[in-house]
Amino acid sequence: MNDFLEQFLVEGRELVEQATEDLLALEESPDDQQRLDSAFRAFHTLKGIAGIVEFAALARVMHVAEGTLAAVRAGDQPVTSELISDYLACLDQIEQWLDSLQRDERLPTVSDKITDALVARLQKSAPEGGAPEVEAAASQSAWVEALLARHPELRRRARVAIRYAPASDSFFRGEDPLALVDRLPELLAVELAPSRPWPALDELDAFVCNLTLTVLVGGAVDQVAALFRNASGTVDIQALSENQSTEGRAGLSSAAATMLQEQAALVAGAGAEDFIGRLGSAARVSSGVLQHAGWVIEAARVLQAAEEALRLSETSPFTVALREILAHPAGEAAAEAAGIESRRPEETASRTLRVELRRIDALVKLAGELIVVKNAIGHTSRLAKDGSELGVLTPLLIEHHVRLERLVQELQDSLLSIRVLPMRHVFRRFPKLVREMAAELGKSVRLVIEGDTTEADKAVVEGLLEPLLHVLRNAVDHGIETAPKRSAAGKSGIATIRLRAERQGEQILVEVQDDGAGIDTARVRAMAETSGFASPDALAGMSEEEITELVFAPGLSTKAAVSELSGRGVGMDVVRSTIERLGGRVEVASRAGEGTQVLFRVPFSVMMSRVMTLDAGGQVFGVPMEAVVETVRVPRERIVRVGAAEAFVMRDCTMPLVNLAEALGLPDHAREAPHANVVVTATAGQLAALEVDAFGEHMEVMLKPMEGLLAGLPGVAGTTLLGDGRVLIVLDMQELLQ
Amino acid sequence: MTVRFASDGAIMLEGVCPVDDAEPLRQLLQTNPGAAVDWGACELAHTAVIQVLLVAGPSVRGFPRSAFLRDWIAPLFA
Repeated sequence: MNDFLEQFLVEGRELVEQATEDLLALEESPDDQQRLDSAFRAFHTLKGIAGIVEFAALARVMHVAEGTLAAVRAGDQPVTSELISDYLACLDQIEQWLDSLQRDERLPTVSDKITDALVARLQKSAPEGGAPEVEAAASQSAWVEALLARHPELRRRARVAIRYAPASDSFFRGEDPLALVDRLPELLAVELAPSRPWPALDELDAFVCNLTLTVLVGGAVDQVAALFRNASGTVDIQALSENQSTEGRAGLSSAAATMLQEQAALVAGAGAEDFIGRLGSAARVSSGVLQHAGWVIEAARVLQAAEEALRLSETSPFTVALREILAHPAGEAAAEAAGIESRRPEETASRTLRVELRRIDALVKLAGELIVVKNAIGHTSRLAKDGSELGVLTPLLIEHHVRLERLVQELQDSLLSIRVLPMRHVFRRFPKLVREMAAELGKSVRLVIEGDTTEADKAVVEGLLEPLLHVLRNAVDHGIETAPKRSAAGKSGIATIRLRAERQGEQILVEVQDDGAGIDTARVRAMAETSGFASPDALAGMSEEEITELVFAPGLSTKAAVSELSGRGVGMDVVRSTIERLGGRVEVASRAGEGTQVLFRVPFSVMMSRVMTLDAGGQVFGVPMEAVVETVRVPRERIVRVGAAEAFVMRDCTMPLVNLAEALGLPDHAREAPHANVVVTATAGQLAALEVDAFGEHMEVMLKPMEGLLAGLPGVAGTTLLGDGRVLIVLDMQELLQ
Repeated sequence: MTVRFASDGAIMLEGVCPVDDAEPLRQLLQTNPGAAVDWGACELAHTAVIQVLLVAGPSVRGFPRSAFLRDWIAPLFA
């Protein structure tokens, strides 16, 4: 991408954000002249920069947008919520263009039809009932994102998303919208929602269609568009972009292919005595390689084939499976993808970052000081070579070390501060999203944002987008009641969702609070029981708080998502795991009839972690401090065997004990000691105790995540180097204890 | 009639329920609040009929014979 486009991308995004913010503020207070001026300027500048990069379609749309806004400014046209919607839709489209530019590194080719439609919309002279537009958009609008978020397991298979609101007189026209949906190729998901809130049964006009259908299909977009050609009402058909539907299905790299071939050769050459060992190791490596390449199904297949081979004591099932996988081009097995889901965090992070000049200046100054220390160390090492006394060298070395330590600390702080972003960066996308989600469901919701200037590391701020989106969607969809229910409960017809961020020491608190119905614990109980998640007895013994916590249980929510479209807690397990990946925690509190509060506690920065080192099986490991509750020494006689496992009683609480060396498959030395050294950890609300050989020290480390072929290694959060050059493996307690 | 009130107090949907069934169904549901809807013998139902069911939200009995209704619509009433 050339410099102009690079610059255009950055500025374009900022301007779209600015315009969105202004428009939403204008909707609240239509007389705000300052906001109007600011929005006008944003559109004007967008037009200007579109001209610089010769993006004709954008320039044309912006020209019209600017014109209409000028009329509003002159007082010739009022600010209506319809006008705001049109402008927001227009900004949505621009954002899609920018996404496409970022991905393809060139300006998108835009059909005149799309530009015409946008222009017509902005000029308020849109012709009635044209053919539905099909946009092979680079990224999707909010409703598509929300739809896919509700059906994460369909991401790979879904090729087209459809939102279809038949005209209210469509029944009179002889249409049967559901029959039309039934004819769609490869239906994957169907959702029905009222276009406007449902009336009471006695006020319902049975022949007025008030439905909006949202559908995911696996068939071809042309077929879908053909079926809807004569449909009344509004139809929004969006082809899902390639990376969405074939996520992770890139071809195997030659390195990966070579590794797989080698694994096949390794197993093929095995004798009777080393067959099991070679097979096991080859299976692990192959499945790791495949998983890294995103070939999840194949990875599972390799493991299955290895088991089969083991059972038959024959190499062929495994080698044949590998050969077949190597022979098939990417995408062959996609049809079998059903049921196996792969969740990779989507690449939402931007590649560029705007940095204040003074922060760079500080770095330049630091570099200068580091050079001074380097020269001083050079001088000392010459002294050492010339045979100076240790008594002379030692104070010099200590002094250099102290200075270097201070400078490195400063360097680290400066670099971290460059990566700091205000929460606004993510929060400002929500007013529009919440507005759209609420409109889709026929609810009125006010989003109040507080503390959006709270700063945190870029990775943390950007990592919060997806979980917050889930929680906000849950709040709008399930938390907030319909207007009639709200008024019956004596609440204001307009619901309020409060999104608040606050810094507390090294932690950031982000809270989403709605004034809806709260979590229906009776229903969660019932769902937990029917899905076999817990026995009725166990459930009966659980407090309301514990039941509320169940919304995070993975088995529960996915099952609910399949069987009940309106089940509360869809995707909450994903929220929890995302937040925990950031090193944070999620809490949920709910009061029946008063609302739900979801609280995220995330670290200010994910780069620096505090770890505690421990020895196990003759190696040093790190455990994140946030997972450590306490360390205790337990006399051996207090440890009791429970079946195949061990446990001990601590403060009247039975604690399962896991031997870390054993869990990691390392030789175990510590058994002879009269005491067991035990680290008590807490992950996902569960306490567990780890037996280790010895406790180490506390240290601050910069964790390097596992990369390349090792990226999928379970149980490892990352690595860092110890002072003596050894690699410290920092464990991911949650994965390890699963 | 493809929509009728059965002697056991349930509302029956049978065969192919056309758009014209929507209003009689609405009236039945309104005059018999709490009545269950038995659609075990329903082969097809027009969107208008489904819409009435969505608004009334009755408890349902049986599974419709149409695969579409069974797979995509019935779960809404589970």
